Amino acid sequence: MAAHAPTEPVDDHRSRRWKVTTYSGVALLVLVTVHMVAHHFVVDEIGGLRTYAQVLDYIANPVILVIECTFLIVVTIHAMAGLRSVLLDFGLSERMKRLVSRGVVILGAVTIAYGLALIGVLASRA
Amino acid sequence: MSRRDDDLDVIRSAREARGPVLRKSPGATAWFDVRGRGTGHWAFSLNRFTALGLTFYLYLHLAVLSMLLGGESAWHGFLELATTPVFLGLDVLLLFGLLFHGLNGLRVALIGTGIAVDHQKALFWSLMIIGAILLLGATLHIVGSG
Repeated sequence: MAAHAPTEPVDDHRSRRWKVTTYSGVALLVLVTVHMVAHHFVVDEIGGLRTYAQVLDYIANPVILVIECTFLIVVTIHAMAGLRSVLLDFGLSERMKRLVSRGVVILGAVTIAYGLALIGVLASRA
Repeated sequence: MSRRDDDLDVIRSAREARGPVLRKSPGATAWFDVRGRGTGHWAFSLNRFTALGLTFYLYLHLAVLSMLLGGESAWHGFLELATTPVFLGLDVLLLFGLLFHGLNGLRVALIGTGIAVDHQKALFWSLMIIGAILLLGATLHIVGSG
């Protein structure tokens, strides 16, 4: 692979990945704050944890449902983009880079699917 | 200066450029080693450590929330464990990771979009002070609820 100057303009794929990581990170600043305050810091229970009934009440709110689903998707995208970046720091071959890229996409998709299914089951019980 | 030092200098100088840039790989272990490094390297390494920790926590959190599928008794059993002092201490550690990663990430995003490029260090320490105040407040809240 040809060496690049550190400030060489990046191609569209790299620029897009940087934007995905950055924009999802900025969105998470808002979503994490909402999640932590709404889900933990306004609860009087010990440790800020909701009881089973309180969790179902919480998830029954359609606004909360949308926020939690959005949070799950954005945090997974951000985590997978970051995980890929960390793994690529290990100086992998082009073939391994492609495998890592596909691997994080699959892992992210499975994570989102499982999380949405979990939220769906709990919402159905509310 | 060793080759590793040269590589890290290139990476650090790349980080001062605006927007996304191509960076040389630091190798398998370079970012673990913060001995004798400046604030920027410490921030980068701690950002990576907290990123890995938070990614691990994402899956731990999903596993814990899966206990809700077991109904009220399964969740109540977890609540008893989660409200012990050790777990409340781990909550504080989690908040530290969230605050550091979030606020340092905000700095990186601002620098990357050309904002406050010449005031990176002041921006970093300002955000860390805000983070420390928030962490102190959250810790008092958690400890007070325990």
